[in-house]
Amino acid sequence: MLKILDSAVPVACWSCSVAHNDATLFCPHCSKIQPPPGGDFFSVFGLKPCLNLDLMGLEHEFHRLSRKLHPDRFARSGEHEREWSLADTALLNDAYRTLKDPIHRTEYLLKLHGAEIGEEHAGKDRKGKVDTSRVPADLLEEVFDLNMQLEEMRMARKMGEEDPALQVSLEQAKRKFDGLLDEVDDELRAEWKKWDEGDAGVRSGAQKTMVALLDRRRYLSNLVRDVTETLGD
Amino acid sequence: MAYSDKVVDHYNNPRNVGTLDKSSAEVGTGLVGAPECGDVMRLQIRVNPETQVIEEAKFKTFGCGSAIASSSLATEWIKGRKVEEALTIKNTDIVKELSLPPVKIHCSVLAEDAIRAAIGDWKKKNGVAETEQAAVSAN
Repeated sequence: MLKILDSAVPVACWSCSVAHNDATLFCPHCSKIQPPPGGDFFSVFGLKPCLNLDLMGLEHEFHRLSRKLHPDRFARSGEHEREWSLADTALLNDAYRTLKDPIHRTEYLLKLHGAEIGEEHAGKDRKGKVDTSRVPADLLEEVFDLNMQLEEMRMARKMGEEDPALQVSLEQAKRKFDGLLDEVDDELRAEWKKWDEGDAGVRSGAQKTMVALLDRRRYLSNLVRDVTETLGD
Repeated sequence: MAYSDKVVDHYNNPRNVGTLDKSSAEVGTGLVGAPECGDVMRLQIRVNPETQVIEEAKFKTFGCGSAIASSSLATEWIKGRKVEEALTIKNTDIVKELSLPPVKIHCSVLAEDAIRAAIGDWKKKNGVAETEQAAVSAN
């Protein structure tokens, strides 16, 4: 599903044979359900890839399409239409889940434009050198130290001890990392605007910045998750 | 995804977990991270200044089972080796030994990075130039 659709290439409706844009779930001419379209998640909602989304509009469209695609409506339809209502619903759910979440949406759009993000792309193109450029050293130190503190606290808990000083420093750390996470998110949003409104040059700059911000964010969100877990035990 | 027996073994009984004195001239520290998954790994070595042999290696990794196993194995392999020999360990050796699936190859890359970073730190502390050292070992 990682494909930007060429809307100039029309597809003929299976029912009425009138050509339509491949991305649509229903034929604009005869309104019959169509097999899962081959475009990207944005096109499922009739959108162009963009980062600043009208979330209310997206939700509204999701509910509208969900109702229209509901398998109950196709109980008396042909076998193909019944299958498509299931497949289209699954696609719609995936698309909605991805696009409504700001981080998933950003990652998805960057992948759509060729960025290699996530574990499956990690460690490629190695030239035997330490690539420290992607993560600032001071952040790594901080992440490591906080992980050590967390472990200390878990061990102390296991032994039935409570260390109030450790608890306080963890709470401080959590506030700090929450704050850093908010900063990253603000920076990401600033790049969204550049990407949505900029020309090719601005876009490619914004893409690079966003990949770096998402790298940083992964460390921070892992930490916040672990601190929250430990504090909440 | 199932972990291989060797990964499980290193995960359950990690070798050489711990900390060496960072401020010691004989100790090199490498701290590396994998931005793709947010794992962090610290690997430390203590080098005998006379023989250049890595006499002690310790690690601490916060990450998945494969990252822990990769760093655990790395410390086992570099212990007792000369610094320049340790640099010949490749991530692909770790992949093979632990039967890591493609999606976890970056964990072995992280371990190789950590070895290089620790040795690099030790060299810097001791004023050993990278090229000079390479020339010596080539003789």
